[in-house]
Amino acid sequence: MQNDHIIEHKIVFLGNPNVGKSSLFNLLTGSHQHVGNWPGKTIEKKEGHFILSDEFFSLIDLPGTYSLSARSDEEIVTRKFITEEEPDLVCIISDATRLERTLFLALQTMELTKKIAIFINMTDLAEKIGLYIDNKKLEEQLGVPVLLVSATDDNSVIRIKKFLYDAIHTDKYEFNPAMLLYSTKIELMIQSISRQIEYRSICTEYPTRWLAVKILEGDESVIETLEAEYDLTNVFDKINKLAKSEKLDLNVELSKSKYSILHKIVASSVTGFKDFQESRSDKVDKIILNKFWSYPILIVIYAAFFLITFYASSPIINGIDLGISQFSFIVENWLININSPAILTSLIVNGIIAGIAAVLLFIPIIVIFYSLIAIMEDSGYLARSAFIMDRVMSKFGLQGTAFLSMVMGFGCNVAGIMATRTIKNEKDRISMIITNSFLPCAARLGVIAFLTGIFFEPWLAALLMLTLYGFSIFLVLASSLLFGLFFKKNDPLPLIMELPEYRRPRLRNIYYLTWTRAGIFIKKAGTFIFIASLFIWLMSSIPFGAPPERTIAGYLGRGISYVTEPLLGLDWKMVIPLLFGIPAKEAIISALGILYSTGGSIIEVLKASWSIPQAISFLLFQLTYAPCFAALAAIRSETKSWKLTALGFYYPIIVTIIFTTIVFQILNFVM
Amino acid sequence: MKQLLLLIDIDENKIVLVKEISAGYKAQRFLADLGIHEGERIRVTKNDVGPVIVEVKGTRVAIGRGLAIKVKVLLEE
Ligand SMILES: Nc1nc2c(ncn2[C@@H]2O[C@H](COP(=O)(O)OP(=O)(O)O)[C@@H](O)[C@H]2O)c(=O)[nH]1
Ligand SMILES: [Mg+2]
Repeated sequence: MQNDHIIEHKIVFLGNPNVGKSSLFNLLTGSHQHVGNWPGKTIEKKEGHFILSDEFFSLIDLPGTYSLSARSDEEIVTRKFITEEEPDLVCIISDATRLERTLFLALQTMELTKKIAIFINMTDLAEKIGLYIDNKKLEEQLGVPVLLVSATDDNSVIRIKKFLYDAIHTDKYEFNPAMLLYSTKIELMIQSISRQIEYRSICTEYPTRWLAVKILEGDESVIETLEAEYDLTNVFDKINKLAKSEKLDLNVELSKSKYSILHKIVASSVTGFKDFQESRSDKVDKIILNKFWSYPILIVIYAAFFLITFYASSPIINGIDLGISQFSFIVENWLININSPAILTSLIVNGIIAGIAAVLLFIPIIVIFYSLIAIMEDSGYLARSAFIMDRVMSKFGLQGTAFLSMVMGFGCNVAGIMATRTIKNEKDRISMIITNSFLPCAARLGVIAFLTGIFFEPWLAALLMLTLYGFSIFLVLASSLLFGLFFKKNDPLPLIMELPEYRRPRLRNIYYLTWTRAGIFIKKAGTFIFIASLFIWLMSSIPFGAPPERTIAGYLGRGISYVTEPLLGLDWKMVIPLLFGIPAKEAIISALGILYSTGGSIIEVLKASWSIPQAISFLLFQLTYAPCFAALAAIRSETKSWKLTALGFYYPIIVTIIFTTIVFQILNFVM
Repeated sequence: MKQLLLLIDIDENKIVLVKEISAGYKAQRFLADLGIHEGERIRVTKNDVGPVIVEVKGTRVAIGRGLAIKVKVLLEE
């Protein structure tokens, strides 16, 4: 935090998914934001700030959630944050076109804290469909300030900032959240539990009434903490008896009551709400989700997605490549001219510049990949593709959201591994984390495209590429079945998923979505790639001046090739790039470049040195053999387990050796 | 008395009243948080293959077929 602004205000954004929380957050904070993790949890924490009248307003964008029960880590984190960090203000973002649903969370939060404001977003859309919202009436009934805003209108930003300032500094606004009264029966129970709580002088940072409600709901997290210190058997016995005699799930009952209270409030403050009519999104879904067309459309969209990524980035990559090699040439000449020692020249040219080049070369493909994903996401198609794929994925014991983590992995496995957060089932999540590195990331796409282009006719190269991609997907899905045999299957939650409305993608969102994801790659992978490049230079340069086979790397490669050559057809010169590729796959191409560029162009040399079975063996091996170090770090931080991280490292190696050996031996036999 | 039907058997565009959900408690609570519980009116927007999609409170929620078979509803005219 900055120290020159002494006064700091903490403000939290809370809301359902897709209410425009991030859009408002981005508008308010601009580039003053960073994404981190909640300590000990794999939940994204987005923080940002803006400065108004020399005061520091720090904003926290909590993960989108439907309720504050303790069913998911998101909900637990949210709850803890509101009570423990004591923010100055909790802003519930709600969607004007889905008021009842999105205010449900506001009612829950009102039981937890007084410092609440409600921002009703998307008022521009509401206006278009003839909805009129009377925010004064809402304020009267809810007892907290209600603001009508829209993330499409810059004026809203000014109003929000002014509101936040006034809410903190003046008493222009009232914060007296209305107490929601449930049915008499439930109220009696709440009172009885509240008395018990007070009688035992239980003291937590949570309000008594809220605790009582949570105990009634059977909230495991609250009950566990309380039971650790107090004897509450009496209370629970009473509740259980009651619930049984009435055949009620009190949790469901309480949600129902909240919704019925909300229904009345909304009905009295909103006019023009039309239910149960076919919307534009319904019409589009008739085609996109059609039982005959959904799969062909999905295939076309994803094929276009991969082709565009590939073709749009290649001219940029070539341009950067050209620029770097010219720059490197100039630097090398200059260094030679000033008589710098040969080892220094080599370090700068083959170590540092080559390392920076390796990072730079993958930025265009990553940026284009993630901007196209962002377009699909912002338009609403990405969620639908998870929906469509749910049927296919369920054949492998997985849910549709697992498909999204796979798609992300094709860009960068780190992002793919992080995308497994949306997978609700723990066993599936772990399986998808461990196998994500099977999917060739952009770096391996580079190797595949380069080598298939050298060894095969274009049509055969394309076919081979498709086969390799298909094989990697097969490995992920088959592994999930395999793991299913070993891990205990905790009964999977059936699919329940809200489908967002289709929207025209907005440039601003695409920019932010791309920036956060590509940023992960550039920061995390970037450092790994750079360090790995320096390491490779060192290994292949010591002792200095020796021919490649007599460097450390050379000896290592020759040692390993005693095993790999008969088995997989990989000789020492092929082993070295693979070895260097373990920390960062980008190193494979640069190592090939160094090793195979003596005595002619790399293309000619490679063609002359590798047989077709060897080339295929190399392609297949590099496709899946090991996660890069950045991906390993991601596996560790997502699973919080060294055992699973080790599994994530050895499992791909073993699987790859088995499959590549089979393929190479067969090819070698027939060709 | 009208007969209870299963959500999975309801045609597209029909409006129904939810009467009973006999699923696991986690699923039941999640549905309740989304506004799908006994006494709520919902509209089926898609029901051919794959998950059933229903409109509830102005939003679209997909429900897996395995769960949709456990939701008992009353058809509205
Ligand atoms: N028309 C309109 N669209 C909005 C508004 N706020 C957000 N959106 C769109 O709603 C979608 C979801 O927004 P996002 O900020 O990602 O929602 P979050 O999931 O709550 O963070 C995006 O496509 C936004 O462009 C708004 O005020 N008006
Ligand atoms: Mg968001």
